[in-house]
Amino acid sequence: MLRFIAQRLVAALITIWVATIAVTLLIHLVPGDPVRIMYSGFQTTPEQIEEIRTRLGLDQPVWRQYLMYMGRVLQGDLGHSIVGDQPVLTTLLQRFPATLLLTIASLFIAVVVGGSLGFFAAYRRGTVWDFGAMTLAIVGVSMPHFWLGLILLFIFSLSLGWLPVGGSGFMNLILPAMTLGLANAAILARLTRSAMIDIFDQDFVRTAQAKGLPQTLVLYRHALRSGLVPIVAMLGLQFAYLMGGAIVVENVFAWNGVGRLAIQAVFARDYPLIQGFILFFATVVALASVIIDVTYALLDPRIRYGK
Amino acid sequence: MTTETIEAPARPERPQRAYAALFRSPSGAVGLVIVAVLVVCAILAPYIAPHDPLVMAAGPRLEPPSLAHWMGTDQFGRDVLSRIIYGSRLTLMIGTIAVGISLSAGLLLGLVAGYASGWTERVLMRIVDVLFSFTEIVIALACIAILGVGLVNAMIAIGIASIPFYARVTHSIVLVEKNKPYFESAVAAGASHARLIFLHLLPNVIPTLIVIGTLGVSTAVLAAAGLSFLGLGAQPPQPEWGFMLSSSRDLISRAPWMMIFPGLAIAITVLGFNLLGDGVREVLDPRQRAR
Amino acid sequence: MSETLLEVRNLTVSFGRGAGRNVAVNGLSYELARGETLAIVGESGSGKSVSSLALLGLLPRQGAQVEGGQALFNGRDLLTLSDTERRKIRGDRIAMIFQEPMTSLTPVLRIGLQMTEALVEHKGMRQREADEKAREMLRLVELDDPPRRMRQFPHELSGGMRQRVMIAMAMALEPDILIADEPTTALDVTVQAQILDLMRGLKDSFGTAILLITHDMGVVAEMADRVVVMNHGVKVEEGEATALFAEPQAAYTRRLLAAVPRLGALSQSDAPRQVVEAGAPVGKTVLRADGLCKTFAGRGGLFSRGTATVAMSDVSFDLRAGETLALVGESGSGKSTSGRAVLRLIEVDEGQIDLEGTDLRRLGGAALRRARRGMQMVFQDPFASLNPRMNVGRLVAEPMTIHGIARGRDLEDRVVELLERVGLEADHTRRFPHEFSGGQRQRLCIARALGVGPKVIVADEPTSALDVSVQAQVLELMLELQQSLGLAYLFISHDMAVVEEMSHRVAVMREGRIVESGPRRAVLNNPRHPYTSALLAAVPKPDPTAVRGKIPPLDLEKLPMGPLSEVEPGHWVAT
Repeated sequence: MLRFIAQRLVAALITIWVATIAVTLLIHLVPGDPVRIMYSGFQTTPEQIEEIRTRLGLDQPVWRQYLMYMGRVLQGDLGHSIVGDQPVLTTLLQRFPATLLLTIASLFIAVVVGGSLGFFAAYRRGTVWDFGAMTLAIVGVSMPHFWLGLILLFIFSLSLGWLPVGGSGFMNLILPAMTLGLANAAILARLTRSAMIDIFDQDFVRTAQAKGLPQTLVLYRHALRSGLVPIVAMLGLQFAYLMGGAIVVENVFAWNGVGRLAIQAVFARDYPLIQGFILFFATVVALASVIIDVTYALLDPRIRYGK
Repeated sequence: MTTETIEAPARPERPQRAYAALFRSPSGAVGLVIVAVLVVCAILAPYIAPHDPLVMAAGPRLEPPSLAHWMGTDQFGRDVLSRIIYGSRLTLMIGTIAVGISLSAGLLLGLVAGYASGWTERVLMRIVDVLFSFTEIVIALACIAILGVGLVNAMIAIGIASIPFYARVTHSIVLVEKNKPYFESAVAAGASHARLIFLHLLPNVIPTLIVIGTLGVSTAVLAAAGLSFLGLGAQPPQPEWGFMLSSSRDLISRAPWMMIFPGLAIAITVLGFNLLGDGVREVLDPRQRAR
Repeated sequence: MSETLLEVRNLTVSFGRGAGRNVAVNGLSYELARGETLAIVGESGSGKSVSSLALLGLLPRQGAQVEGGQALFNGRDLLTLSDTERRKIRGDRIAMIFQEPMTSLTPVLRIGLQMTEALVEHKGMRQREADEKAREMLRLVELDDPPRRMRQFPHELSGGMRQRVMIAMAMALEPDILIADEPTTALDVTVQAQILDLMRGLKDSFGTAILLITHDMGVVAEMADRVVVMNHGVKVEEGEATALFAEPQAAYTRRLLAAVPRLGALSQSDAPRQVVEAGAPVGKTVLRADGLCKTFAGRGGLFSRGTATVAMSDVSFDLRAGETLALVGESGSGKSTSGRAVLRLIEVDEGQIDLEGTDLRRLGGAALRRARRGMQMVFQDPFASLNPRMNVGRLVAEPMTIHGIARGRDLEDRVVELLERVGLEADHTRRFPHEFSGGQRQRLCIARALGVGPKVIVADEPTSALDVSVQAQVLELMLELQQSLGLAYLFISHDMAVVEEMSHRVAVMREGRIVESGPRRAVLNNPRHPYTSALLAAVPKPDPTAVRGKIPPLDLEKLPMGPLSEVEPGHWVAT
């Protein structure tokens, strides 16, 4: 078990490490002069441009830049954003709680709605109920997040006036979380259904039935307990999807998270902020998947008591 | 001489679920019809669109759906239906080219990693895994940050962003096929690398990739619409559905049709490719039925 | 005759509806008396498993339906009971164990919970009483340290141990009937013998009736009082075991019994049966393996290593033209690894492989591919060993194309010739593998291998996936080909009776080492290594009159596993 956690942590560190290389390279792949592009919206003299270039270390060879960047990152310095002229890390950390809140709320909705729909469809496999649930799911998978968001906004905020249009309170969280949660619930419903169908076809479910156990025991103790293992294993990826989806949904509902910040940064060509965002995002996703992998390991005795 | 009268034909003890055909095969048909309609729209756009998609004031501004403008007009008086019909061209182009980019690169990577095995495989797949965990939208954002805003750049970005996914899928299929005895049997027969890859692996990998690629078009369409919605893809006055949605945002209460129809177009297109993908999967692999 | 416990009348089960309807069991009737063992025997597709699953209402939820018949148990018809009533009987009065012990226990639940839940449910026991009962049962099935076993999870137990747990679990409620569906098919032969012993013992002490479903005539002979033979969903014969084996009435039963290989049938001859007049004699050595070693690194990631397993350790043998050397052993013995190693399908760590004077390990790339012409392989699973996307013509032609042996018209003629040679028809060339049965596919594999005129064929369990009647035909074909073409076979098998039928010489493997090797007659008639003796003793004999005593336990720790020494000319035993 300890070894398993260690392996997962090493994998997460590699992910973060690759991310640092990727963001250093990013600025070099920009066609043209990144400094000029970054400051195209500002009045600058050629001397100022050269001074900024030196300050950002862009006049150095790539490997040197990478070492400098790594050195700063290890000290918690992700550079200065151009637009807000603030430390990137501070800006990200200010905005991150809103994104985390949105992601976790949507994960909750996705798991509850999608998980139960998928379980139900698998249990009623081949019936009208299954067909109905899966039709709903495939329609859900096909709906763009942002459109679903606009529709919910139109119905609940503009027509019925029940919920606010934008802002940052609890009432404001409901619509974005529903949007993101329901869209991912559809994906999760399909995955859960196919995982549970696999489980229902397993020999041990038949053994449990052959023992004459009541159907509820067979379902919840034997099938669902076993099904949780693959289902929880999928959640790591789901979390990453949700974080990614949050970028779009935050923009629909003007929810002030890191996703909204990222889009602004891309528009403004604010490279330090973009670099910081990617590194930050990769780190959060990597750490979240470690947490989910450990949960999954706790559910599976083959790993929990393995070497 | 040798008779096998005793032997039963290869019939599994657990039979195929016959109900499954009824349950899912209509999906392939529905998907095919949707995709076919889309393709026809795209090809014949100039003939079937009632108005020019770019001409302003083709009708009054913000007119609700009427006989003259079935889906209403936008704030510049452009016909929404015509814009949607022309939009299918952009959507199909983005979807197929983006999938083309990611599928070909992913296939190459996955095939090389899976066939080579050893260190090549480990290093390649570890990189792919890491990139995969960044999620497609973040890779796409990074690409746009590099290339700049625009529809073609968005398409390339989406193509690049999905490479890790296709590489992983290809790799896992290659591993499965490579471990089947028929592959070993070809090795034992003395087959060359080229024969093993092109006659044994590829024909068994490609059917699954066709399914994945079809489903992938829907993902690419969604992603492109999303980037355009954020303003990172299509630019005015392109009749791109995601972009149309984003310009409807401030007018939702006054002109909900501007929001409803482009969204519906995206959803139906995506649904069409999803259903088609499921249908193709069913045809290619009967065991996957009812999944 | 004693009291009838279960009476099945006219049971009919089908799958699918309408045009796709497929009757799996058709009008099956039998009776089961208290305390007796009734074997339902048949080949794949005979409906034997389906008929017993139907009794308990365990058929797959979709698609299968009981179309008619009765199953009277204690005067009640099991087939028409409500789900709740049937559930009360299931596991309590009628218990069941399955073929796959590896997958039949829920992996995320402790053994203790799985053993006690039926006791709590049916007998209304408190958890502590149930725990006590479960421990007692584990002791009865001869598992050591029951309290510890109760806390373990299934993956911590071996296949044989899991099947013991399954039996303990089923017998804990002292059911009237135990349905055992191929209970030992997935197990090694020595473990099978122990499990069968155990079942017999428990049956006697509990007075349980056993409904034994199996394809293995040896197991039937060993266990059954009476036998029902099924074929294609229909009962073809029923009778007392001794009578049925002595004088089978139905033609199908006679064919089935004739096809069963019997250990000892060839104990008086040095070579396999002659099926060709003036067959090719055993010639000079064509293949020599010397000191092969292979260690598999455990599964691990980029920065981790799993535990290593030794698959082969100092494995040496030679093989002569026209001769069969059998590599025998249980799962994990390294016999398949050895077969793959001589073909260089896996790379060995150490040792030499010499094919007609060429050291295969020194060859690379194109030279190795050319050398492969001399040696071909036939695999165990005929369903997976043919590329599903090539038609039969291309499949059979492929090796010849690779080695440039024939092309065009000539190639087509050769393909047809080969198909006919293995008992298939010329017009099969345009068909695809999935259109063929298992036996036909194995013939295709053989035809494919023969095309390039190999000297050696490595056959890895070529008939284990086949029904016994088909097995007999494929073995016959292999003998005929060997004797007319002078082929050398490296024949890998776990089945001692098949080995006796096929081989000139035998090498017994265990844990990656050869523990005994020599002429087949010497090794099988006069085994010198305790492990070989145990393997031979464990083979069930398809003869109900042959009484076998309890097999003495084998002390695995003390088996000699050292270097080989010669005990008589050509007969080597590990010391």
